Amino acid sequence: MNRIVIAALALAAALPMLANAHGPSRKKEVSTIEIDAPADKVWEVVGNYRDMGWHPQIAKTEADPGEYKKEVTKRKLTFKNGAIFTDTLTRYEPENKTIAFLTNDEDLKTLPVEGYSSTISVADEGGKSKVEWKGAFYRGYMNNDPPPELSDKAAIAAVTAFQKEGLEALKAKLEGGK
Amino acid sequence: MTRKGLARRMALAVALCIAGAIAPAVAGEAVREAFVTSQLADSVGVVDLATMKQVAEIAVPGKPAGIAMSPQRDFAYVTTPDGNELVAIDTSVRKVVWRLNVGKGPLGIAVNPRSGAVYVANWYGDEIVSVDPKTQQVTHRVKVGRAPSGIAVTEDGTTILSADRESDAISIIDAASFTRTGEVKVGEHPFGVAIEPGGKRAFAANVVSNDVSVIDLGTRKVTATVKVGARPYGVAFANGNAFVTNQAARSLSVFRLSDLQPVTTIPVGDYPEGIEATADGTAVYVACWGDNLLQRVDTTTLKADAKAEVSDGPRSFGAFLR
Repeated sequence: MNRIVIAALALAAALPMLANAHGPSRKKEVSTIEIDAPADKVWEVVGNYRDMGWHPQIAKTEADPGEYKKEVTKRKLTFKNGAIFTDTLTRYEPENKTIAFLTNDEDLKTLPVEGYSSTISVADEGGKSKVEWKGAFYRGYMNNDPPPELSDKAAIAAVTAFQKEGLEALKAKLEGGK
Repeated sequence: MTRKGLARRMALAVALCIAGAIAPAVAGEAVREAFVTSQLADSVGVVDLATMKQVAEIAVPGKPAGIAMSPQRDFAYVTTPDGNELVAIDTSVRKVVWRLNVGKGPLGIAVNPRSGAVYVANWYGDEIVSVDPKTQQVTHRVKVGRAPSGIAVTEDGTTILSADRESDAISIIDAASFTRTGEVKVGEHPFGVAIEPGGKRAFAANVVSNDVSVIDLGTRKVTATVKVGARPYGVAFANGNAFVTNQAARSLSVFRLSDLQPVTTIPVGDYPEGIEATADGTAVYVACWGDNLLQRVDTTTLKADAKAEVSDGPRSFGAFLR
C-alpha cells in the first residue's frame, strides 16, 4: 500500500517535468460532418481563433491581440470544468478555409493527450458545407505500459469524443436558425 | 564519358580505395525503391520509385517508426517502439527474416557504414544499443541523455551521434570502445540529426525551438543556429543544400551548406517526417505522416514533383531508399 502511495507521489512530482514530453507513437483521428449552411458562414465561426465558444466544452477564449501570425499568435482556452489549455496558431488560410492550432499545455484529466494538433477545414459542397477536423496527438504518458486512463486507447477515445461533440454543436449552431 | 559520369566513377574509385570490400553498393546507382514505415498501419510498405506505387506491404507489428539500411542495402532494419524490437527485412524478398528485443521504446536507428553494426536509440531506456546483424545479438549498450531519438554515424564509422530530445543535447559516442565521450548542448528538443557529406559538421533539428543547430564535430561546438519552419524533424543533404522537414508547417526548409543562408521553402504534404536524399543527389524523398504520402522533391527545381500513396502514418525516420 505504502509503495503505491510513494509511487503515486513520485509520479505526481515528475509530472511538471513531463509536460513537454511524449511517447514515440503519434496517433491521428479524422472527424467530419456535413452542415446545411454555406461554407463562408461555417468558416466565419471555426476560422475565428479568438473564440472557440462554438465547442460546448470551452467557456472562455483569450487570444493574443493583433494580426494572426503563424507560430506566434497564442491563446488560452478555459474549459467549462475549469481546465486550462494553451495553444499556438500554426495555420491560418482563409483562402482554403483552413485553420490549425497545436496545444502547448494540456490538462490530462480533461483530455489525456500531449501535443494535440488540430486542423479544421471547411469545403463547399453544393451550397452546403463539409467540415473536417484532423487531430494528431500523443497519449498523455511518456513511458512503456501506461495506466489505462493514459493509454493510446484512452487518448484516441477522448479526442474522438471531443471532436465529435464540437462538430455536432457547430452543426446545431449553424442549422439552428431555420 | 560525361564530366559528371567521370566524377562519379572517380568518387566511386576513391570510396572503394577507402572502404575496401565494404564500399556502399549504391554509390552512383539510381535508387529504385523506398521502404516506408507506416506506424499506424503496423507495416512497412515498398514503393517502386519509377511508378511511384506502393507495390508490397510487409506486416510489422509494434508501431514501426525508425529505419536504416545495411551497407549493401540488402537488409532494412526497422524499430518498433511499442514492440521493443529491432526487425530485419530482407529487401530482395521483402520478408521479415529476424527480430530481436533490444530494450524500451526503440526509435532512432542507423548502421555503421564500415562494420555494418546496427545502432538503436531506446527512447525510454536512455541508451544506445549496438547489435551485430551477423549473430543477431546485442553486443554493447551505452547510456546517453534522456529520450534519445535520432542517430547518425560518420562516414568513417568511428563516431556515433544521438539526439537526446529531453536533454536538449547531442551525445557523442566512440564507436570502437562504445563509450560516450562528450555532449553538445543544442536547441530545444533535438529530434533528427544528420552529418553532412565530408563529415565535418552535424545538423540537429530542434522540434521545439524551430531551428537547426550546426555542430562542428572537430571542436564539438555549436557554430551556428539556422531558423526553419514549425516543428522540424529530419535533415537531408543534396545539391549543396540542407533540406529540413517541418512537421507542423507542411513544408521543407532549404538552406545552403556553404553559408547557411535560406534558399526557399517547399510546400509538401501534412506532417512531413522522414527524409532521405538519393545517392546522386537529384531528389529527396519525404514521408508525409498526415496525408499518407511519400513525396519526391526535385533538388534542382526545388519542387515536389511526384507522390505515392502509402499506408497509414508513414514516418520512415532514417535511411529508407535502395
